[in-house]
Order: sequence, then C-alpha cells, then structure tokens
Amino acid sequence: MKQILLITDGCSNVGMNPVTAAAHAYAEGITVNVVGVLDQGDLGEAGATEINEISKAGGGLSRLVHTKELARTVQMMTRKTVMHTIQNAVHKELKQVLGDSSLESLPPEKRGEVVRVMDELGETAKLRVALLIDASASMKPKLQAVEEAIKDLMLSLQSRQGESELSVFHFPGGKHGEGAALDMGWTRSMKDIPALFSRLQMQGTTPTGPAIMEVIDFYRKDDYGRGHRDDMDGLRSDYVV
Amino acid sequence: MTWMGCGVTTSFDLRLARGTILYGKWHGGRYEVQRLLGEGANGKVFLVSHRGRSYALKVGADAADLQSEINVLRAITDTKSRSGEPFLVHVDDFTHYPGRDYCFYVMQYIQGSSMTEYLQREGSEWYSLLGVHLLRQLAELHQEGWVFGDLKLDNVLVSQYGRAHLIDYGGVTAIGKSVRQFTELYDRGYWSAGSRRADPAYDLFSLAVLLIQVMEDRRLAQLLKSRDRSVNALLALVKESVTLAPFGEWFGKALSGGFNSAREASAAWQSRYRTRSSARQRKKSGSRWLFRAFAVSVLMLAATAIWYLNV
Repeated sequence: MKQILLITDGCSNVGMNPVTAAAHAYAEGITVNVVGVLDQGDLGEAGATEINEISKAGGGLSRLVHTKELARTVQMMTRKTVMHTIQNAVHKELKQVLGDSSLESLPPEKRGEVVRVMDELGETAKLRVALLIDASASMKPKLQAVEEAIKDLMLSLQSRQGESELSVFHFPGGKHGEGAALDMGWTRSMKDIPALFSRLQMQGTTPTGPAIMEVIDFYRKDDYGRGHRDDMDGLRSDYVV
Repeated sequence: MTWMGCGVTTSFDLRLARGTILYGKWHGGRYEVQRLLGEGANGKVFLVSHRGRSYALKVGADAADLQSEINVLRAITDTKSRSGEPFLVHVDDFTHYPGRDYCFYVMQYIQGSSMTEYLQREGSEWYSLLGVHLLRQLAELHQEGWVFGDLKLDNVLVSQYGRAHLIDYGGVTAIGKSVRQFTELYDRGYWSAGSRRADPAYDLFSLAVLLIQVMEDRRLAQLLKSRDRSVNALLALVKESVTLAPFGEWFGKALSGGFNSAREASAAWQSRYRTRSSARQRKKSGSRWLFRAFAVSVLMLAATAIWYLNV
C-alpha cells in the first residue's frame, strides 16, 4: 500500500495543477491524503476547495486542522486510508461474487469472517507513506508541530505488525523553486527523524503539483529498484475467498 | 469532526426519535427507541426497550468498523458470561426509511455515572474500589489475549456500590497488534513512554492516567499546558497530591511498564489500600491499648494505695 500525505497551508501557485497530479498518483496505486494546517484561518476558501479536490482526485481524505491537532489527524488519516484501501479491494471481490459490493448485503454471521480478514490485512499489509511538507514562508511557525506529527506517525507505524516505511519530502525543493526535495528516504526507525527541518530554507512559492509528481517518480524508481510490486492484488487473492 | 473524504462514511447524522420502532432485518427483533445514550468515535448508542426490558443498542457509522467490534465482543462474551454478565445480546441490521441499512448490536444496559461524578457524589473514599474493579476487568481481558486500548473517562460507567464497568469495546485489540483506537491523553506514545503495540502494560498506563485525572483533573490540565509530557512530570504530580501520594509506588510502576500483568498491578493496588485502612485501624487499637494500660496503672495505683493504707 502506498500513500502520499500532503501537509500544506495554502493554495498552489506554480506549475502543474495539483489535482491533476493527485489523479496521476491514484492511477499508479498511490492514495493522496491532504491536511490543511491553519492557525489563524489563513487558508481561504480557494485553499480549502483545492485541498478537498486534491484528496478526491487522489482517492484519499482531507481535513483542515489546527497545529495542535496535527499529530492525531495524520495518524488517524493514515490508518483510515489503510482500512479504506482494503475495503475497496474487498468490495470489488464481493461484487464479483455476489453482484452487490456492500458488506451489508452479507448476513451478519458471514460478515464477521470477511471483516476479520480485513482487519488482519490492515495490520499486516506492507505500507509506505511519503510525507510531502509545504515549506513556504507561512509554514515556518508550524514546522515544529509537523516534526512532532512525523515522529508520532513513525511511532504508530512501528507498532504495526506489517512492514511500514516512511519518507519525507519538502517543497519547493530544487534550485529553481520547482518540485520537491527529499529530506529522508524510506526508513523504519525513529533515529533518522530528529531535527529534520533545522537546515531548511523557507521559500515563497508553493509548487504543489510538481512536488506531487516528483514523489510519484520517487515511488516509481523505488519499485523498479526493488523489482517487485506490492499492491493489494497479491494479498487479495491469498486471503479473500 | 467532519471528514471531507470520498467514499468513507464518517459524518454520522442518524437521528432516531423517541418511540421509533426498529425491526431487525435478519432476526426480526423489535426495538423501541427511548433516547440517545451517547456518541462514540464510530457510532451512536441508544437506549431501547425489547420484550419489556431495557438494552443499549449501538448503531455503527461504518459496517466494517462495527463488525470488527462485534467480532471482539463475540470473542470475549463467553468469558464475560461466565462471570455472570451476558454482554452482547443481539446482532442485526435495520432499514431506516430513506432506504439505507444500518448495522447494530444490542448489549446489556448499564445504568451509572462517570467516575468523576460518582466520586463527587459519594466521596473519595470510593476511589480505591473503582481502581480494584477496573483492574479486575482488565485482568480478565488480558487473560483472554486482548487489550482494552481506548481506556478513558468516557469509557467507564460506575453503577451502585462503586462497581466500575468498561463500556466501549471499539478499541479492544489482540495482544501484539497495534492499538486500534486510542485517546491522546491516555496514550503511552503521547507521553513518550513506549509504543502503541497492544500489551497489558499499555492498558495499565492508560489506567494510571485515568486514576490521576479523576482525582487531580486541574493539575493534569496544567501539566498538559506546560507541554512537559513525560512520566516524570506525571509522577511529580502524584507526589504532590494528598490522595495520590500513598499510591506513588504503584503509579511509578504502572507508568513505566513495571507490572507484568493487570493481576500483579491489582495485587499491588489492593495491598496499598489495605495497608492504608489497616494503618487507620492500628491507630484505633493503639489508643485502646493505651486506655487499657492507663486503666491497669490506675488499678495498680489504687492497689498500692490500699496496701499502703493497710500497712
């Protein structure tokens, strides 16, 4: 299972439309979740709409929160998305078998077994989450909360039985204020996380779309490097009858 | 808390008026809604009457979420029945008139108040007994291989004579897996005191925070404001509190994973309040002993006086 979690506080203003970029991600099996962090209601209606649209195109969730709720939100979203991805896969199977995709169409007694398998998958399936952090100037006072949220997410991922990895990007990243820069490659350990953003130069633009595309690219190269696919298909045929 | 996601049912605005009749779709039971009892993270609980008796009926916002809760309840219900508490009564669906099906389960209705309300009303001398009941229930769960997970003020109801019950099983997790549902204040990870993997010590940590909260709500709130989230800060709070200080050693162990099981924690908790109450008795018997000694010395004095006079 692959996820991108975008943490931002404003509208994109450079490059490709982030909604299109999120749709690309979803097409490659990557779910995109978005958290909008606002402390003084500085996001605006356009920002709120964009956040919602990105998550819809990316098959994920979006929420607007204060910095103090950030850790909890990030953790819950990641977990919900894992369960959601599994539910989608199971619904597909149910539709093939029963012609109806809802769990409710099964009698309560049979539902129990299906959900037990879903819970098991949610706990054991391999999970990778790429965090994509908006590092435009207005995010500066929020970065400490972002770091705390990253550590908290790592703690939750480490508690899973399945293999779980985290990577962190910030944007804008490149020399020309385009795309995203990698802060931390795939990791399973807490040790790599401290003081992630201390050396960060805050910049003005918000190239959300190009940044998402860069993370998709990172996933692609990584999958090629590892030489295997780890989407739901393999798991599904193993577990669900 | 509204989620703006697609496909995930998270805003749950089902309203059932008093007197609404729900018919079980698969098993045909008839349930009359009395009132809303509460709202949890993943559903609503109504008070219903069924065959002349009161029950609590939980409607799930999401079929899969509710079902995994039911799976857990099924697994632990056998144990609970043995201890005389049939917890899970029925499982079914009902169709609400716009044509949507909702999953629900029916459980035993427990009448009671929150721990803080109870202690305010009945007095803090009931405090240690609440701890005893909670520890016993945790010990039972742990023995069957489960961890309660989301132990918090909202998930405990106290009925007559200080009988504390765990009431929301949405966070119950098999030992060894990641805790399904938790609340930051009571979460071991939030206090940087360990992982979120379900083990008996996870519940004992949450219980310790809860037992601090019900006595020292204000001090705990201050501590959270100061952003000093550590076990040491919690223990300093315990030390300062008149009520909690005698349990200091117990809190120290519970907050740092020092107990191997809830049973061990329970024994330590009970020995704590036994020493406290026996200390009080000792004082009483001590004064009685003094009184006796005094009486004896008066008698001896009298005897001496008589002897002296006789001489």
